[in-house]
Amino acid sequence: MVRHPEPPVSALRSHRLTSLLGIALGVALGICFLTGLVSHFLQHPPAGITWPSRPAGFYRFTQGLHVITGLASVPLLGAKLWSVYPRLFQWPPIRSVAHAAERVSVAVLVAAALFQVVGGILNVSRWYAPMPFFFTAAHYWVGWLAVGALLVHIGVQLPIVRAALARPEPEPGPDGLTRRGLLGAVATAAGLITVVTAGQTVRPLSGLALLAPRRPDIGPQGLPVNNTAENAGVRTTALDPSYRLTITGPQRQVNLDLTALNALDQHTADLPIACVEGWSASASWSGVRLRDLVTLVGADPDRSTVVVESLEAAGRYRTSTVATPHVRDPLTLVALRLNGETLHPDHGYPARLIAPNRPGVQQTKWLGSITVREES
Amino acid sequence: MRIRAALVVTGVALIGFATAGALTDPDVDPVGVLLFMAGALIGHDVLWMAAVLVTGALITRLVPIRWRAVTTAATIVAAAVTVVAFPLVLGYGRPPGNPSALPLPYGRNLLLILSLIVITAVLSRLLRRRYSPPPGESRIM
Repeated sequence: MVRHPEPPVSALRSHRLTSLLGIALGVALGICFLTGLVSHFLQHPPAGITWPSRPAGFYRFTQGLHVITGLASVPLLGAKLWSVYPRLFQWPPIRSVAHAAERVSVAVLVAAALFQVVGGILNVSRWYAPMPFFFTAAHYWVGWLAVGALLVHIGVQLPIVRAALARPEPEPGPDGLTRRGLLGAVATAAGLITVVTAGQTVRPLSGLALLAPRRPDIGPQGLPVNNTAENAGVRTTALDPSYRLTITGPQRQVNLDLTALNALDQHTADLPIACVEGWSASASWSGVRLRDLVTLVGADPDRSTVVVESLEAAGRYRTSTVATPHVRDPLTLVALRLNGETLHPDHGYPARLIAPNRPGVQQTKWLGSITVREES
Repeated sequence: MRIRAALVVTGVALIGFATAGALTDPDVDPVGVLLFMAGALIGHDVLWMAAVLVTGALITRLVPIRWRAVTTAATIVAAAVTVVAFPLVLGYGRPPGNPSALPLPYGRNLLLILSLIVITAVLSRLLRRRYSPPPGESRIM
């Protein structure tokens, strides 16, 4: 038996292994970045750009993919960083100005990637305490940081990757894990994580979703809830019998109680609640079309934008803007019922917004007022 | 060469864009972000990697050669799943009054998945028939 001297350096590490892991991780990061941009710009549309309201399940797909890919990248990131770990201790640590700049860019990439993945896991687990910042905004900007550092990294490493992929390498000794075996283990880990979490948005997998933060069928009226009426501080006002929905248009204002709302034309739409946290669940909503309410106050739904306000006294998501494509869309409802029953207080009783292709945080609950602005 | 230069220039520009954006966004607390970044970096590069290297060394020392590959593979899978499950098992994110958030027995479910990983690993090794023990030893970390 041959005794090898320490320090511990695995014979498994190679440029080729690191390159393959890096390519997979780069693809995952790219998917997360693009789907993350979709989510950001749906919530913060740049001036002059409006998003279509169809396909109705588009946001459900992109945000589900965002979280699925982010969670699946855990073993990829772990293996990738393991494969280059000895380079952290290279000597001399800095050889030139260019070398120093390259090492700084790698540090930025590693820090940003860990920030995104660890922060993302904490966020979908709703454990905000370890993060001393507002997650959404930080996750967005660090996403740009990660992509910038990734492009620099690809630019620097491209020849090494090309050379490594051009020639196969011999496997290390046959008495341990092979490189193929390591890649297989990483792929298995990514697949297993996907299988036990993706059921929070991919309905056929919900029975396998042992580690999903949500189950699409668990919640009041069989649907998950993010913010409860109690937590939003609206229990009393929402259940007050003197409730009126105030709709203000360019020509007139109307105040409708529940009887009046129920007397208007009722419509049903099958739409998902698609949360930024990556879970989604479909339901059958019924109530009044938003475009009918816009017409009621003398505006043209094809040329209007709407601001809806919740009964909440405060909170980041107490109001949201409904752009013209969604105002116009007949699927956009002021919902009064869920799966045929009066809305549960946690689902937004007495009335909530539900619209196609829209993040759950913008499906404003406990509607108190609707303001219609007509474009000239 | 031109592609590489374009990648590096674009990347540096995006790093600048991200930094400027984060510093001018009133919703971003740069101190909090940097603290968390530093924590994640130290947590991974020092604590996590130390645990990984020690685990690798223990597998090399303690596990018989013919079981080494499958043990390493199973450990990788188990570690990755545990990282994802850890905050759910702790359950600090479970809000009072909202039983639809984090509704499952995550500790039990994680144990179930880890057991399945072990069973699968053992079966996959036992069911592989042909094996000739090689001479010598190499180290897997």
